[in-house]
Amino acid sequence: MTMQMPPADPAIIARREQLAAGLRAIVGQEWVVSEESERAPYQCDGITAYMAMPLLVVLPASAYEIRRVLLFCKENGVKIVPRGSGTSLSGGALPVLDGIILGTARLCNILEVDPLERIARVQPGARNITVSEAASPHGLCYMPDPSSQIISTIGGNVAENAGGVHCLKYGVTANHILGLEAVLMNGDILRLGGDYLGAAEGGLDLIGVLTGSEGLLAVITEITVRLVPKPEMARVLSMSFSSVDAACHCVGAIIGSGIIPAGLEFMDRKVLDAVAPLIQETFDSNTAALLICELDGSRAEVDALVQAVTTIANKEGAIEVRASNSDAERERIWRSRKLAFAAIGKLCRDYYCTDGTIPRNRLPDVLAKMAEFSKKYGLNYANCFHAGDGNLHPIIMYDSRIPGDLEKAEEFGADVLRTCVDVGGVLSGEHGIGVEKRDLMPHQFSAIDLEQQQTLRCAFDPTELLNPGKMFPTPCRCAEFGRMHVHNGQLRFPDVPRF
Amino acid sequence: MSETAQKTATTTMRPTKPEDVASVVKDAILNGHKLDIRGNGTRTGYGNPVKADATLELGGLDQIEFYEPEELVIRLGPGVTLQTLQAAIAARGQYLPFEPPFWTGLYGADPARATIGGTMASALSGPRRLFTGAARDYILGIQGVNGQGEHFVAGGRTVKNVTGYDVSKLMVGSFGTIAALTSLTLKLWPAPPREQTLLFDATDLDADLVRTAEILRAPIAVSGAVRLETPQGWQLAFRIEGMQEGVAEHVAELTRRIDRPVAATLDDKDSAAFWTTIRELEPLSAAPDELIWRINLPVSQARGFIDVARQRGGLSRCFTDWGGAEIFCTTKPDTATDDAVSRFRALAKACGGHATLIRAPDALRRSQGAFPPASDAIAALSARVRAAFDPMGLFSPGRMTVA
Repeated sequence: MTMQMPPADPAIIARREQLAAGLRAIVGQEWVVSEESERAPYQCDGITAYMAMPLLVVLPASAYEIRRVLLFCKENGVKIVPRGSGTSLSGGALPVLDGIILGTARLCNILEVDPLERIARVQPGARNITVSEAASPHGLCYMPDPSSQIISTIGGNVAENAGGVHCLKYGVTANHILGLEAVLMNGDILRLGGDYLGAAEGGLDLIGVLTGSEGLLAVITEITVRLVPKPEMARVLSMSFSSVDAACHCVGAIIGSGIIPAGLEFMDRKVLDAVAPLIQETFDSNTAALLICELDGSRAEVDALVQAVTTIANKEGAIEVRASNSDAERERIWRSRKLAFAAIGKLCRDYYCTDGTIPRNRLPDVLAKMAEFSKKYGLNYANCFHAGDGNLHPIIMYDSRIPGDLEKAEEFGADVLRTCVDVGGVLSGEHGIGVEKRDLMPHQFSAIDLEQQQTLRCAFDPTELLNPGKMFPTPCRCAEFGRMHVHNGQLRFPDVPRF
Repeated sequence: MSETAQKTATTTMRPTKPEDVASVVKDAILNGHKLDIRGNGTRTGYGNPVKADATLELGGLDQIEFYEPEELVIRLGPGVTLQTLQAAIAARGQYLPFEPPFWTGLYGADPARATIGGTMASALSGPRRLFTGAARDYILGIQGVNGQGEHFVAGGRTVKNVTGYDVSKLMVGSFGTIAALTSLTLKLWPAPPREQTLLFDATDLDADLVRTAEILRAPIAVSGAVRLETPQGWQLAFRIEGMQEGVAEHVAELTRRIDRPVAATLDDKDSAAFWTTIRELEPLSAAPDELIWRINLPVSQARGFIDVARQRGGLSRCFTDWGGAEIFCTTKPDTATDDAVSRFRALAKACGGHATLIRAPDALRRSQGAFPPASDAIAALSARVRAAFDPMGLFSPGRMTVA
């Protein structure tokens, strides 16, 4: 692994068994994993390129146990890396050698679905898909649907402010959280908001700060989410274009016309070639890019929208537009998108997927840049992303057996992300910063902006034990922020060591 | 302070450029002055009175920096008036879905002077919040000056963004206690071309709210659900918005499910006018010396709360919004005492909710606070969060907290 992390404290590592005993007294004998072979599965998350063996894996069963675990860690100076299912694509759950993994696997229950208030109250380890399944008998669903939704947990979704295909129309995780219970490093248990719409009115939006905070501020122990009615029906359009530019312009034209599709996805030719054998379908040889557009609502409404989008696509030079006429057809069109990443996985030994987001009208420029970077690094790539919200997921192919290939892939990814920022976008749309994009933060934010975020972190966790080495390229140095001084725009700590 | 920051009174600074905001704050640091931060000050009656040495009015930062309709995004100064903003985006068929109330009528202020900065700082969301989200859901990025006189940026201009903490959301509802904003980037949305409101005669409150909840669970695009007293008696009103084809279908589905005759239908302009009155709390017809409250609580508790508040809380008139999860009410003039206010809050709390004083005499908001009291842990964390931005406590001290 190439990622620099805060230096591990050998004294902590030497005390492994003693610390395990202390933690076992809190969560029970079998819920502290100390055997190396049993800790091994926790060495990485969704980014397998970065690995580290955690000191211990601790699996508490309640907020009360979590509170005691945090206080124990604080007393002993032990770092804590919270983890749901470990599907992070930014290394958010990457362990540190001198810290525990705090897993939420035993906190996996849906505590309540209340159809009157249209909410579900869930534990952080509940998997995303199970919430919609539990809500389904009431005609309701939980809208945020990251592609990991079968595995990823709501706690992890909150930590990373997960998106998904449907967030174009329905919003990201942050727009669906009504209440949070969270434990701070000082042992305070916060109950923010509650189990009804508007429960959080009247105070600072601490739920907003915790959502997307990547496990650096508090450990979330319970979540109340907003449920919404399942759309009556949906139809999907598959629209092919002979150029990437034409497809990109069509995205802008659809949204500019006042139509917000439920999902609007982009796949380039390389992705289509990769999925074609898996779905036993061929794509017209002139197709350079395909857009998948889902439209939902009532029947007449959807039919009218399908008509309107078809007209736009034809005007934008689509070479073929197909609309689903049944749920089976709709599923078939979606299959190509859903299989895209697996299909690319068959083309190469390894791939690296990143997550920059840009204003939609800059899509053609940034995609052109990617072609340049591909030449520069001599690595192949493919594009399959959430076009409607400008959220790019370039898939960079490499071979980890070739020395230097991973580093080239990382540099390629970093160039793409820097380009995203340069055209007015951001480093991450839905995967989070984690360790992966940490060192690029100064490209998007000034020293003062970052320092402001770090002082905010200190307000929640002055110990800096929660998920260290993530999000920020430098330590927060909370102890020093405790002192107050004015420095007229000068960087407060110009000589801060970088990880 | 900077020459260019215009002094309109000895204690009011009204800068017109972001860099002048930083100068004002730096001057305040040097002089040890507390600042009362506001837009144009039209809604200072909402929130606690501030005791400050000077007023920093951001109403002079009134420029739209950019507006890209196809990107559904606008960046503007906090001093742009709500009316200016709404006119600019309406011209391109867009709107602010969270339906911000002006509430200037409640405070005897000029609605034309209400700003977008004040709206976001006060987290003002209207009836459509139950369908489209709140003010916080439409902020994408901010720029501002912190309590050390430093200009900082947070968020961005894209809808999806997990790059650092969501400091932008923290600004919404912070009432000027965290930073002096110099710019806001907002997400906009296409305005629905059609709207229709259906009114039905009410029955029992509980039964009405259960029926309302059934409708809100159905795939019907209901963007407003209130129960209020009209000259025709108590009525339920539902708003449906969307494209022509959709509205007709959703209305048919609504009338099928509610299973009672339509008492009245309001189309487009009439519907919009109706929801303006709801948004501005006109059904309360609040007398000048009555207190105005907002109660947020579980729908299941609305009935219980209203009953007990009538018997023991001095409740005079009320209506329910957000399908019953929000109650607006007035209490009689004799409830303007510390005891009565804390009793009323206790009633809301007993029902699992909380009560915000939207309008009350200054002294009462100073002693009791406009906002429901937070738990010790949340209050302590909120104080640390404020200190992280404003370590000397210069910004709008006491606006959200009671000493």
